[in-house]
Amino acid sequence: MNIYIYDSYVGHKKYQSKIAKIETRITDLGLNGKIIRLGVMSSIYNSIEGEVQKGAKNIIIVGNNNLFAQAINSVAKLKSLHTTVGDIPLGLIPIGKKYNSIAEYLGIDYEENACDIIAARRIKELDLGMINKYYFLTQATIPTKETIIEIDKNYSINITEPGEIIIVNLPMGIELPNEIKANAQDGTLELFIKTKKLNKLLLNKNKENKSVFSFKELQITNPKYPVIIDNSLKINTPVIIKIAKEKINLIVGKGRNF
Amino acid sequence: MFNNKEDVNVSVKDAETIIGPSIKIKGNFHGQGNMIIEGIVEGSVKTMNRLLIRDKAKITASIEAKEVRVGGEVQGHIKVGGYLEITSTAKIFGDIETSEISIERGAIINGKINMIKEVKNSEKKQ
Repeated sequence: MNIYIYDSYVGHKKYQSKIAKIETRITDLGLNGKIIRLGVMSSIYNSIEGEVQKGAKNIIIVGNNNLFAQAINSVAKLKSLHTTVGDIPLGLIPIGKKYNSIAEYLGIDYEENACDIIAARRIKELDLGMINKYYFLTQATIPTKETIIEIDKNYSINITEPGEIIIVNLPMGIELPNEIKANAQDGTLELFIKTKKLNKLLLNKNKENKSVFSFKELQITNPKYPVIIDNSLKINTPVIIKIAKEKINLIVGKGRNF
Repeated sequence: MFNNKEDVNVSVKDAETIIGPSIKIKGNFHGQGNMIIEGIVEGSVKTMNRLLIRDKAKITASIEAKEVRVGGEVQGHIKVGGYLEITSTAKIFGDIETSEISIERGAIINGKINMIKEVKNSEKKQ
């Protein structure tokens, strides 16, 4: 059975006609299933766990990056706890363009057009990053300021210019150096450090400095800033980041960027 | 492989690690793939593949790699299984062990150079 999990914001009046069109298209394509409307206090983990135990065939999120990231976390966590949880695919019907960058990267069209992608059921198995007990699909970011990085306990990295640290699983919206080939199917994570020397006289002419390291496990500490995963969830340091044992099956579109 | 500039460019098209100019590494930095160093490294650097030390890099470490191109400053022992290219901007303070070498005019080397015989795969099998 297909399980559709609606984010709470899609219940807003302005999305009513869009949701109606999606439901019509789902019926036309013969993809009907159970609809779960999440409230502010609802737990997506409990919802997914319950449906997986009842034999759900596909889990489809109707929402944006935030709920999709939570669903990925829930499915990966279930896989780690119960070996009986199979490779249940996770799909997305993105509602609204503002916080739906993951859908775009996966080649999933917006709203009712996404239903055809769900129908095509093009599945890709992707790696996941793990930060403490959380999973992430795309990236984890933190500013360089006051950040201490220790990699594989063999060496430490000191960053001398201000910038951003990005742990990359799926390189979405970032320009890695040409020499680096990173993707979410290679079984590794990349540490990408992007810095810029501050020079007030040459404000726009400063060249960006880029560094990249492959790693198995790293530790990040920052007394001031948290790590942000998948552009949605903040996690306070110290954190240990590594590639997760669990992988995720996602329904993707033809126009995906990988 | 590092015999001309075109080859050098080819060799870094696929790198595992890039240490940019704003980075300082302390410890034992060991990898499997190609490496490019533009920053500061203190400790040891080791890779099974190629290592490119760019002009502004400063390395206080022992180095071991299959092939190396040095354009920056190195203080420490350099051990290369294959070919070592030293460019005009290089400053090396330490001993060198390699099987093939080229040194461009202007390079500074303070240390012994010991030429070793490269062990080819066919010889290893015998």
